[in-house]
Amino acid sequence: MATISIENVRKNFGAVEVIKGVSFEVADGQFSVLVGPSGCGKSTLLRMIAGLECVTEGDIKIDGKRINDVPPHQRGIAMVFQSYALYPHMTVAENIGFSLDLKKVPKAKIRQQVGQVAELLQLSELLDRRPSALSGGQRQRVAIGRAIIKQPRVILFDEPLSNLDASLRVQMRAELQRLHQELKPTIVYVTHDQVEAMTMADTIVVLNQGNVAQWAHPIELYRHPRSTFVATFIGSPRMNLIKGIIDFKEATPTFAAAEGWAVPLAGRDLATTDLQSVWLGIRPEDIRLVGANAEANLSGKVAIVERLGAETYLHVVKGAETLLVRVQGDIALRSGDTVHLALDPAGFHLFDQADQVFPA
Amino acid sequence: MTLRKFTRAEATAYGFLAVTLLFCLLPFIWVVLASVDPNASLFLSLPKGITADHFVKVFTANNGRRWFFNSLVTVGATTAVVVVVGGMGGYALSRTNAWWKSPFLYAIILVRVLPPTALIVPLYKFMLFANGLMGAVVRSVVPPDSARSAMQICGFVDGYLGLILVLSAMQLPLALWIIKTYFDLTPKDYEEAALMDGANGFQRMHRILVPLALPGLGAAGLLTFIGAWGDFLMPLTFISSAELQLLPIGLFRAFQRANTIDYGYLSALALLYMLPAVVAFGLARRFLIQTFTGGIKG
Repeated sequence: MATISIENVRKNFGAVEVIKGVSFEVADGQFSVLVGPSGCGKSTLLRMIAGLECVTEGDIKIDGKRINDVPPHQRGIAMVFQSYALYPHMTVAENIGFSLDLKKVPKAKIRQQVGQVAELLQLSELLDRRPSALSGGQRQRVAIGRAIIKQPRVILFDEPLSNLDASLRVQMRAELQRLHQELKPTIVYVTHDQVEAMTMADTIVVLNQGNVAQWAHPIELYRHPRSTFVATFIGSPRMNLIKGIIDFKEATPTFAAAEGWAVPLAGRDLATTDLQSVWLGIRPEDIRLVGANAEANLSGKVAIVERLGAETYLHVVKGAETLLVRVQGDIALRSGDTVHLALDPAGFHLFDQADQVFPA
Repeated sequence: MTLRKFTRAEATAYGFLAVTLLFCLLPFIWVVLASVDPNASLFLSLPKGITADHFVKVFTANNGRRWFFNSLVTVGATTAVVVVVGGMGGYALSRTNAWWKSPFLYAIILVRVLPPTALIVPLYKFMLFANGLMGAVVRSVVPPDSARSAMQICGFVDGYLGLILVLSAMQLPLALWIIKTYFDLTPKDYEEAALMDGANGFQRMHRILVPLALPGLGAAGLLTFIGAWGDFLMPLTFISSAELQLLPIGLFRAFQRANTIDYGYLSALALLYMLPAVVAFGLARRFLIQTFTGGIKG
């Protein structure tokens, strides 16, 4: 078990800087997820922790010891690859026991340890098979087995569930969490899927264009995003962002949307701001359907109705803006209907023109 | 009407194919029949009896056994050299991003494109020069009475080594291309996984890369073996001693003997000459198919 510190790490590929001074920490035994869109540098960062890519600048430390120049196999790290990278010419047992075989561990001991790992991962029946004779989920488990048999201090996962179908992915998510609870290794997990990040992580590091956009507990990220990037990346469906200005003419400052409706911004310290143009962020669950009365902040036309069973999402059009609203599953609305919406001020997020949250 | 027309077209096609097949097979049929015919002649005829005398003669008279051995040694060594050098080179060419990669790959294929006959004079001059140097070295370390037999092994002209190197150089470009392409299809993840598992450079090659690349190496080795086995010009140019002669040259000389051509002996020799190439193909066919149709199946 180990603490990982990433300190001001940079990575260049030729003239292109892909990691631009990233710092964060993963505490001992923590499940930390690196999340971000394609090309944000998350896999590169993971490969640097593994030792498969060198660090251009900055330090990577495990338990306070700088490991920049330590060869991969001496770092006490195991990695599960996106492609699983199971050796096709070896059986499941040989794949799992390969690292022990290289260390010249006696055959009987390898067999015993492979047996234990196989039991933990429900692979006992498959030990004599080749990877080509396994299903996607079974291959995934063999790849995990190959990682945990080394009893590593840190396990790295590079988008391990991206090759599985949706239902298997849900099942494997639960299995990974169970394994983490049983074995308690420090885990760094890379994914572009924010649902995976939210469901499994102790902390999430959101990366954008080679920088850390925000690094926090999942709920903290969800409730208090520091930028429009994090606000729209975390949460499914995404947060609504409405363009407008803050109007100080009344006693309470008001958000005046570009589409001609307004909502008071009570209880916020906006005295020091004199912003012309802002974004109001609000999540679909913080908007309610109301009658055509004083409670309503705006009205619009339903464009699309997405029924998911337990809940329904409405795409409500107001001028050039479309707002996503979450309502109960059995609502009797059709596209073309007019609805009245009330926005919950507790769910407001304000972002400035530089897309950063304010008041900070 | 349509059906009748179709049938007629089909019959014509099959007829044409049958004639072509017969045309292709006739030489083989002649070789097989003549090799066991006590009175084999230039003309195709059913043997009046069956004899193994010609095969016995191949192995007892006229150095046939020696030619066969020489061919196996030189072509076998050539195949080994090409598979090892081509394996390592093909891997390096697949993994490098150096600017010279593409010019290099096209430059080496030129060696294959140019007719070997056009290069034979400068090549011979070069090999003769290298042979002089090697001779000086050999004479300085080997007693004078065994210098000649030492040069038959490591000489560049009229020695095994020279012929093996020339044949290898001719076969290497194609092997490099095949193996490089095969490694291109082999994800880097396997090596990285082995690196994370603690495998050193040799273990990664021996435990992971070679087993993964076996079909590519096998296909390259097969094409090298067949190519070098069938080569005529190089053994003709670089080997002059009777005891170092290779099978194709022996076959050619047997045919050249004016007025006294022994067709039975000649065809037994030809049959033996064909055999290793056919066996090699049979053994490595699986690799060939796997290499040219797919690559790694995880």
